Amino acid sequence: MKRRQFLSFCSGCLFAGLANAQEWSAPPRLARPDVASDEGGLWALMDREEARLRRSPFALRDPHLQRYVQDIACRLATEHCADLRVHLVRTPFFNATMAPNGMMQVWTGLLLRVDNEAQLAAVIGHEIGHYLQRHQLDRLRDVKKRSAFGQFLGMFGLVGMAGQVGLLAGMFAYGREHESEADRIGSLLMRRAGYDAAEAANIWENLQLELKARGDGEQNSPLFATHPPAEERQAALRRLAEAAPGGITNASAWQKRIAPYLREWLGDEVKRGQHEESIALLTRKIGSYPANAEYLHARAEAYRLRAKGEDLQTALADYQVAASLGGEPAETHRGMGLVFRAIGDSAAARTHFQRYLEKAPDAPDAPMIRSYL
Amino acid sequence: MKVLVIALALLAGCASVAKLEGERTVGERMTITLDGAWNQVNAPGVGPADLWTLEGVPVDRLLIYAGVKDGQPVHTQTGGTQKHITFSSRMQPEQIVAMFEGMFTRDGSRFRLTRLEPSSFAGNGFRFEYALTRSADDLQLAGVGYAAVSNGELFALLYQAPRIEFFPRHRARVEAMARTVKLKD
Amino acid sequence: MKLSAALLAFALTCAAPALAQSRHLAPGFAALPKSATVVLMPADVELFSISAGGVFEPRADWTEAALRHFNASLAEKKRALGVPFKPLTDADLDQFAELVALHRAVASAIGLHHFGSSALLLPTKEKRLDWSLGPSVQAIRRATGADYALFTWVRDSYASEERKATMLAFAVLGAISFAGGIQAAYASLVELETGRIVWFGDLFRSRGDLRNAESAREVLDALFTDFPAPR
Repeated sequence: MKRRQFLSFCSGCLFAGLANAQEWSAPPRLARPDVASDEGGLWALMDREEARLRRSPFALRDPHLQRYVQDIACRLATEHCADLRVHLVRTPFFNATMAPNGMMQVWTGLLLRVDNEAQLAAVIGHEIGHYLQRHQLDRLRDVKKRSAFGQFLGMFGLVGMAGQVGLLAGMFAYGREHESEADRIGSLLMRRAGYDAAEAANIWENLQLELKARGDGEQNSPLFATHPPAEERQAALRRLAEAAPGGITNASAWQKRIAPYLREWLGDEVKRGQHEESIALLTRKIGSYPANAEYLHARAEAYRLRAKGEDLQTALADYQVAASLGGEPAETHRGMGLVFRAIGDSAAARTHFQRYLEKAPDAPDAPMIRSYL
Repeated sequence: MKVLVIALALLAGCASVAKLEGERTVGERMTITLDGAWNQVNAPGVGPADLWTLEGVPVDRLLIYAGVKDGQPVHTQTGGTQKHITFSSRMQPEQIVAMFEGMFTRDGSRFRLTRLEPSSFAGNGFRFEYALTRSADDLQLAGVGYAAVSNGELFALLYQAPRIEFFPRHRARVEAMARTVKLKD
Repeated sequence: MKLSAALLAFALTCAAPALAQSRHLAPGFAALPKSATVVLMPADVELFSISAGGVFEPRADWTEAALRHFNASLAEKKRALGVPFKPLTDADLDQFAELVALHRAVASAIGLHHFGSSALLLPTKEKRLDWSLGPSVQAIRRATGADYALFTWVRDSYASEERKATMLAFAVLGAISFAGGIQAAYASLVELETGRIVWFGDLFRSRGDLRNAESAREVLDALFTDFPAPR
């Protein structure tokens, strides 16, 4: 297609100057493809997956939050806004996808990790880029030419729901060319919508931090299987941003929006039992928001559960700061009670267990905690 | 789950299902008296817990851990890059529950603890109840678990089935069996 | 071992042969009562094309055609069987999402442990079709007025032209030919009072074609083996 050729021909010059970048304009709205085509097949399959997603218990059905994210997506997509449908999905993995039929998914693991609206816009813009350039179709056509036995599992549901990350990685792992193209378009869409494009590189930097925290040398995590961060991409995104500095990030508006969900999403994150990654993420958040009891509580939980070396003492310190800030969850006192109990301070344990039971008399583990008294 | 079902279908040649009744020894130290007959599924990829079922693997599962040692994982070592969830003999009940929580949520399924209380299971253990939303097919399951640490080893029974019909139907049998568990030194 | 070849081997060697009528019917159930109505749950059908490299690619046109032929053949069958079917729309499915998910899991269990390899039979079931979803299914009866519900599920794949060419090339070289396509389907009749699955049709084979009317009829006939028509 003409536009695609234009972009790949011009890939070098896009970095060079703003003028060329501004010449790119979005293709016209995508029409529903012929049912007999491979693209038609993919659309129809995605339609059915979308119907399933609507009924799924993993769908996050908060109209306010959904509208907020949909608005951001719409501003980025401009005239394609009408074709886009945002679905929020509750799962701790980091992901946002857009299917050829206009179905967009944003997972809560992503919402937890982005620092501000601009970062969310960067990821959404990137996905819109894939959509506008029909990358998923390219991917299907490409994969068809090569042997891929894992695709057999697609027979039982091509796009799985949250957690089918292994399958998704295969399905959505676009090649380097596609990723660069989506990055370029995403950056452009961000700037046109008024966001600070420098934030795009920041997301990947943050994810890198989490990956490195694993300490076992493993450079991959199913957490980011669909969006593996890579040094070259960060560098490219920085260059793109330098061409047009300025723009908003909306950090505080963002933080306010997600505040009601933080406890739930942090709980989902800690439950994964991948303590190193959680601690890295939470340490970064605490650095930005040292007075937020939720992040402190969550990190304390991760330390308490990991229980290596000095972890129990570290957990206690975090719990204590959370408690001193106020607004801490009842579980902070449970956590302190459990740590005191583990280190043999029964009086302190007792105090905090009682505090927990006062605050949450109907907690699921209340019978267990009572037995410790 | 989907992968397990497909794997089972494919590896049927290497799989077998045995009928279990009466008093059984599981592992080296645990005995349990069954309530009625159960089906034990043996196949590559199932472990380290024994897998028993009444209605079939896609529907209900009873996992039996009979002596997991310090540092051992509580689930099969599949490929993939998440860290394995392992047992530590120093774990307290809350940590053991968190361990199972980590195990069940590896595939994106959602786990919610609904009850945790002390229990006389295996002498000195605890009992918990949970709700599990299965990521593979969105099915809502209910579960009950019993666990205890003895001589640094983990012993546990975890039973889960769809919250509609199947869990209410079979839970009493599992609870009765849990009461019969004895450990040898 | 290639997955597709493994499946074929499984289908041909391990699948239990068609036994006496009782395999498809719950114990004690022989025929639908004369006055029974059956609600037709929306068929869950996906057809795929297999490329030369073994990739399963969704084919909307095939799926649409298959659905049309499937529903048409089903309509013929219902006339032949003399059973009134009420169709349920996809939108109606929303309120029964959990029951449908439950049924899918139970159908998987039946496919795996009752119609699959004999190595996976559950001894406690004693070779009987003995599964029930329980009285929660009465919600479907209240909403539709039907006495039974028919669920159908089809996953089917066909070799693309490129793949057929590849297979031929391999055959010429003397290599083992691998599957040109696998058809997996089930149909299940649920009694909406007790939730009992009273009849279950299961297909797992490497032939049959839903993409045209003639062969779709054959597929449906095979799938509806021993369907308990009213007498």
